[in-house]
Parts: sequence; structure tokens; C-alpha cells
Amino acid sequence: MILASDLRKRYGSVLAVDGISLRVERGRILGLLGPNGAGKTTTIRMLLRIIPPDSGSVLFDGEPFGEAARDRIGYLPEERGLYRKSRLLDTVLYFSSLRGMKIGDARPKALAWTDRLGLSGLVNARLEELSKGNQQKVQFIIAVLHDPEFIVLDEPFSGLDPINQTLLNDILGELRRQGRAIVFSTHVMDQADRLCDDLCLIDGGTAILNGPLDGIRAGFGRETVSIEFSGDGAALDAIPMIRVVGRYGNSAEVVLLDPSRSRELLAVLAARLEIRKFEIRTPSLNTIFLESVRGRHRSAEGGTRP
Amino acid sequence: MTKLLGVAWWEYSEKIKSKAFIISLVLLPAVVTALVVVPTLFVSRSETGAKHIGIVDETGLYGPALAAMLKDRLLLPDGSPGFPAEVFSQPPPGDILPVLLSIDSMVLAGRIEGYFVLSSPVGDLVEAQYRTNNPANVRLQEKIVPLLREAVMAVKLKMRGIDPGLVSEFGQSVRLRTFRISPGGVTQETAFEQTFFSVYMYMMMLFFIILTSGQLLVRSMLEEKSSRIVELLLSSVSSEELMAGKIVGLGGLGLTQMMLWGSFAYVVGRISGMAVIPLPNALLLGVYFILGYLLYAAVFVTAGAPLSTEQEAQQVTSLFSLGLIVPLGLSLPVMQDPESTLSVVLTMIPVFTPMMMAIRIPLGLPPLPEIVASLGLLGLSVILTMRLAGKVFSASVLLTGKRLSLRELRSIVKNT
Repeated sequence: MILASDLRKRYGSVLAVDGISLRVERGRILGLLGPNGAGKTTTIRMLLRIIPPDSGSVLFDGEPFGEAARDRIGYLPEERGLYRKSRLLDTVLYFSSLRGMKIGDARPKALAWTDRLGLSGLVNARLEELSKGNQQKVQFIIAVLHDPEFIVLDEPFSGLDPINQTLLNDILGELRRQGRAIVFSTHVMDQADRLCDDLCLIDGGTAILNGPLDGIRAGFGRETVSIEFSGDGAALDAIPMIRVVGRYGNSAEVVLLDPSRSRELLAVLAARLEIRKFEIRTPSLNTIFLESVRGRHRSAEGGTRP
Repeated sequence: MTKLLGVAWWEYSEKIKSKAFIISLVLLPAVVTALVVVPTLFVSRSETGAKHIGIVDETGLYGPALAAMLKDRLLLPDGSPGFPAEVFSQPPPGDILPVLLSIDSMVLAGRIEGYFVLSSPVGDLVEAQYRTNNPANVRLQEKIVPLLREAVMAVKLKMRGIDPGLVSEFGQSVRLRTFRISPGGVTQETAFEQTFFSVYMYMMMLFFIILTSGQLLVRSMLEEKSSRIVELLLSSVSSEELMAGKIVGLGGLGLTQMMLWGSFAYVVGRISGMAVIPLPNALLLGVYFILGYLLYAAVFVTAGAPLSTEQEAQQVTSLFSLGLIVPLGLSLPVMQDPESTLSVVLTMIPVFTPMMMAIRIPLGLPPLPEIVASLGLLGLSVILTMRLAGKVFSASVLLTGKRLSLRELRSIVKNT
């Protein structure tokens, strides 16, 4: 339903986005991932018509994205600000009016959402009196109150405690079941791994991976090995048949350069470390992210991509 | 359009509730009241009670005459003497000090308000001292001094055999009344001081409202920019709608302020009997006010949108307040001669038009061609500056931390 083709944006001498195409379907969540400065925010701004692209187009159900489409989108920006002196309910109703809602329709919905997100006692509080997490919930309400068909959430989980992360997780699942098209960007790979149906990995202004997550995973094969061990993990670096993707204290993810040598690897590892777990699995999103971004940088430096 | 009004209503309703606005709304009338009304109230109240005045007459000639005049001429509203006077017995020559000391103690004890000491040091010359513990009561002295002069004159005339009644009859001061004639054949009595005062008040009001609205506009843009609310706003409304909504909302705020102050001034004018400006002229002033506000708002947006800190904003707005002082400074020559070449030329410069018309319309409606021409020029410059403001606003509203250079701005304005 949202089809962006070949979006480009240049700021002065910097080419922020260089030919990104995206497809967001109803009832699916697209994860927009990428390192800092990759061009995610610029891409989102062009998707939402906050800034015009230098070239390329965005179609909403096959139609060019016009003024009327603004009422059908919901947006939670990454850098969040609210009117500090204004009151919670007033602010939510104001933003819903800017999405074309009538106060009479918006008020009961706003109250239902504040109730669900545990803000019901605060509807008349000034926003500066709210905690950061609560302010973020207010912004989430603003993004979804008008039942938008297309929702863009930039880092929706940051700043939320685990209880509220779970709550938001459930709500996103509901929105997906209701057939909304959702884009969300994050740095937290676990969340993306759990939630996303589709993936667009951006680096240096271009999409280096783009499509359904299952397909992308399959493309990475079953050469990832997850290891848990005791001992000095630095020993892994000296093993030539693997590339270490991530090392986290007593566990690590490595890529086996030749998938047929897994037994051999286990033997080598067992000689150097005390192995508690050795699992060959589909790569995690984290691995895919790190491998793709590093691989791209390696090939840019003249190396080869795995 | 609905969204524009939505933004306007938000700006209006949020700002009108703010403490800063309520304070500024009350402050000006409060200052005016404090400066004009309260002293008058106090002065008239002080005249409700009789004040006893003493007279020590070394000359032996003028005391009784002064006492009689005080008794007959300065009356309280109920007809009783306002300044009952008592002539103290004539002291022996050269021994006046003990007498003065004893009367001083009466003043300090509050039994009399003060007293005159009349002496005649050389020949015909009469010297009067007024001794009181409250020398600041200027109005009392203003009233009594002419009577003293008259009493002395009456006594002297009588000594030469002339009837003092004739002199007071002939000596009445000449009264000057000023009338304004205008082409419509309407002749209206004017009082320059009153007109000056009310015109000046109106200009101050205009100055104050344009400046505060401009400041609010810049501050509101900055708040949304630095908190990044603007990103959310721009996903809902276009930048033109956002800018226009802000201008309309804060303009409405200024208009509310103007109307509240206007009604206050009207009531005060009615009570104090000042001339009140006729309704059609007031409406014309309103049109100039709105156009003037729009022009200054566009200038404020153009200058304020590229900024990113409160400090820069303050520098810019104080620069503009300096610019607005120019017409205030030029107001006196225009007031003295509203039809002069200087006045007409200044009226035709759009940034000065609203202020100049604020001076000229209360003094008498300027000729129709001048009104049409000045409205046309003002309207045209509003349209042009608004366009420029729109371009600068949409180009710079998403940029934070980085200020656009003038060259970048110029290229943006050219390319959009």
C-alpha cells in the first residue's frame, strides 16, 4: 500500500539518501534498521512528506501522496518533544484535530487510550510534570489515536521500562492484526527480530537488504554458530575457519566460513575453551545487521563479502 | 483551512491562558490607572475636608483681606469654606521668632495645615512665606497663591481709592478654545493635551501589542523547533498552514488585547469626559492595525525562523523594538502638522503606515486618496513579505543547531 521508489535527498554536499525503495504492506511490520547516520530519519521524513525528496516518488494505495493522505498516517518521531506547559488531554486532542478528527470523536478515544496506557489519572496534568516514559506514551497516543492506516514509529521502545515495552509490543501486534501498515525503526535488534515481517537495512543512504525477513534469513544460510563457553573468549580470534560476529562475555556468535567444517570447529573450540553450548542456527537479525554493514564496509575497502 | 484554524485556535487558547499574557494584559491598564486615575482620586478626596490655614500678618494690611477671600472663594462641595483661615494677632516688631515657633508646633500637631507669614521688607513689596510640614501639596498652593495676589492687589487699590470689584471684573483671564475645521464642514472642539495623550497611548498600545505578538511568534517557532514538535506538526499540516495558523492565532490574541484595552480606554474616556474617537474611524484604525500586525509578523517570521536559540531570538526582537521606536520618535512633528509633506511621506512607507495613521486618524481623517494609497501599499507589502516569510519558514523550520547563512537563505528563496 505504501510504495516508495528510488527516493533521493541531498543536503549540501552530503547525499543523505541515495535511491531507496520501500514497500509497506497492510497487516505487516517493516523494520527500518541501520547504523546512526545511515539515512533512516531522512527516509522516514520523505515517506511522510515532511520533506520533499529531490527525486523519486511515494505512492499511497497507488495514488501520489497528497495533502489528504496526511490524515491517514500516524507518526512517532525519534526526537520527541511536547508543549511543556500544555495539558495532556488538550495536547492529544489538538494533534488529533490536525489529523482531521472532531473533538467529539477524539475525546472518548483519547480517554480510552490514556486508560489503557496507565495515564488516566494524568489527563489534566501539564506535560512537563510527566516522566519521560509517560511523555512517550502520550506521543504514542498521538500517533495512533486517529486510527491511521499507515503508522511510522521511530525508536518506539527507547525509554520504556520492560513492562511498558511488553505492553507496546502487544499493541503493535494488535495494530498489525487490524491491518495497519507499520514501519518502525530501531537499534535494538531483538525487538526487530521479534516484531518485523519485512526488513529494510539502510547504510550510507542505500538499502543494503530489503524484503521479507524470512527470505533474508534464508539467504544467510545455516552457517551461524552460537557458542556459550568458559574461558578467555579472545581465543576465538585465532581460529581461521570462523569470523567472530559478536562476543558477549561468555557467549559468542560466529560465522563458519565453510559450513561443512562444523565438527572440526567444535573440536578446535573444545581444545581451547570449555564449551557449554554449540548450536548451528539461522542467523539472528543482529548477525545479519553486523555482517551486512561490516561486509559492505569491507567490500568498500577492497575485501570480499561473505 | 480547518487545520490552519486548528493551529490558530491552539496558539490563541494556549497563550491566552498563560500567566505572561494575563500579566501583560493587566499591566498596561494598571500602569495607566496608577499614573492618571489614582492621584486624581486622592486629590479630590483630600478636598472633602476643610483645611485650616493660619495667617501671621506683619504688615497689618493684607491678612484680613486674604482671610476673607479664602473664606468666600474656596468652597467645599457642600458650600462650607474649604480653607477657613485665622489671622493671628500682629506680633510686636523684631520679635517674631517665638510666635513662629509656637505656630509651627500647631502645624506639627495637625491643628492647622500650614500658615502664611506676610511681611513687607521694602516699600510696597509684599513677601509671603508659606510654612507647612507638607510642602508637597502643590495643588493647595496653586489655589491659594492667586488669591493672595488678588488680596494684595485689592488692598492696594482700595488705598488709592479704586473699587477692587471693578478690577476682578476686568481682570478675568482670557480663555482660549481651539476648534478643528475639516472639509466635511464638521467643526469640532479639540483639546491638544487630551488628543496628544490619547494618541500617544494608542501608539504605545500598538507598539506594545506588535512587539509582544512578534516575540510570542518567534518564541513559539523556537519552542517547536528545539523540541522537534515541528516534525510531528509537519506530518499533519503543511508548513504554510502552520505559519499562517500561528500568525492568525497570535494576531487574534493581539486583537483581543487591543479590544479589551480599547473598551477600558473607552470607559475611562467616558468617565473622565475625554473626547472618544468615532466608530468608523476606530474601525479604520482596526484595519490598519491588522495589516500592520501582519506585516510585522511576516518580518518577525522571516527573521526568527532561521534562529535556533532563545538568546538569538532576544537579540533579534530587541533589534526590532528599536526599529519600532523610530515612528514613536517621529510622532511629535506629525502630531503638530498631520498634513505636512513629512507626515504624508511617512504615512506612505508601509512599515510606518499603521503608526502614522494611528496619529493622524484621531486628529482628523486624512484625505481619501491618501487612505487608499497607504492601504494599497501596506497590503502589497504584506503579501510580498508573507511570501518571503513562507519560504524562509519552510526552509529553516526543520533545521536545528545550524543557522542558515544569508547566502543559503537567498538560494533557498530563489529556488522555491
